[in-house]
Amino acid sequence: MTYTAKKCGVRFTPPAIVLIYEDAVTQKARKRIMPVRSFSKFSDCSKAAERLKNNVRHSAYLQDVSMRQMERLHVILRDRLLGRTLEQSLASLRLDPNEDLNKLGDEELSRKKARMDQLFEQNRKKKDDPDFVYDVQVDFPQDERLETCSWDEEESDGGF
Amino acid sequence: MAGDIASLSDLDQEKYDADEQVKIICLGDSAVGKSKLMERFLMDSYRPQQLSTYALTLYKYTTTIDDKTVLVDFWDTAGQERFQSMHPSYYHKAHACIMVFDVQRKITYKNLSNWYMELREYRPEIPCIVVANKIDADMKVTQRNFNFAKKQGLPLYFVSAADGTNVVKLFRDAIKLAMSYKQNSSDFMDEVMRELENFELERKDDTTDKDNVSKIPGFYLRDPSS
Repeated sequence: MTYTAKKCGVRFTPPAIVLIYEDAVTQKARKRIMPVRSFSKFSDCSKAAERLKNNVRHSAYLQDVSMRQMERLHVILRDRLLGRTLEQSLASLRLDPNEDLNKLGDEELSRKKARMDQLFEQNRKKKDDPDFVYDVQVDFPQDERLETCSWDEEESDGGF
Repeated sequence: MAGDIASLSDLDQEKYDADEQVKIICLGDSAVGKSKLMERFLMDSYRPQQLSTYALTLYKYTTTIDDKTVLVDFWDTAGQERFQSMHPSYYHKAHACIMVFDVQRKITYKNLSNWYMELREYRPEIPCIVVANKIDADMKVTQRNFNFAKKQGLPLYFVSAADGTNVVKLFRDAIKLAMSYKQNSSDFMDEVMRELENFELERKDDTTDKDNVSKIPGFYLRDPSS
């Protein structure tokens, strides 16, 4: 039997991961609530996520859901136990290009870095890749650039 | 691997006076990819030393330039940038600077001017390269002018730590610039610092007359009353 994950979310009390999936045989959308047990504000979210993903009763349904996403859902559950609002925890998991990351604490910063690492890993050329080149050189001719970066535009007061 | 042994020899910065030793520092906001760039350049061969006491990571690298072996110490910030400013010893005796921003985050570009101001306060003359990192996320940025580098007369490199674009070139050029700076310039600030050190010693020897200092005409490092 195969299941296609459509959506997932959380339930706060009692803590659970909620999955909307489609059953390949019946082609019907179903909801599955998977309780997150023995979970506290001190729990390690990545371990808890792994535990649920490998759970014998749930693993078949969670095939399509990435570890990263499972971990994020657990982070939201834990944030709740730490007294944070849903908005706060979603903001900490989102990348805001205008946010000054210098001002964040260790944990908040590592959440942002984890988010950035997704793109990094996606675009990454690894040493073992068949087309890996150590010294990649691409020339970007300076004078051919027509467009002025909009980041410079509001600098009329001579910021730089 | 990354030991936490803040041994004195690592922070003995006298060694950077030796001909074959250079110190290159990395500057820039949190999460612009400074460490990722280092790691991409050094690949498997790196053994970073985390000196958490000093919020700093050292990467040692050996290369050959004009048949001479050169030992390079790359200094990376290890979170110290979150205090918006680096400890003066970070800049001390540096021969070149790699200043990084993230092309996806405007604020990291805007903050370059603060980093640059602080750099020039301590190292007015050393070569500095501006680095636009993460171009893999948006190649269009390479079509644009970034005025900061142009205004300051600094070279600008478009790089990606993820796919490796121009990373090796960046570091090799930085090493060359550091070497040529070391060989060719008599850094004015170094001279001043040396004078001051000697001056301090002389003053300590002469403890009987505290007014001595102010009697030297025209010698003020910083006027406390201003």
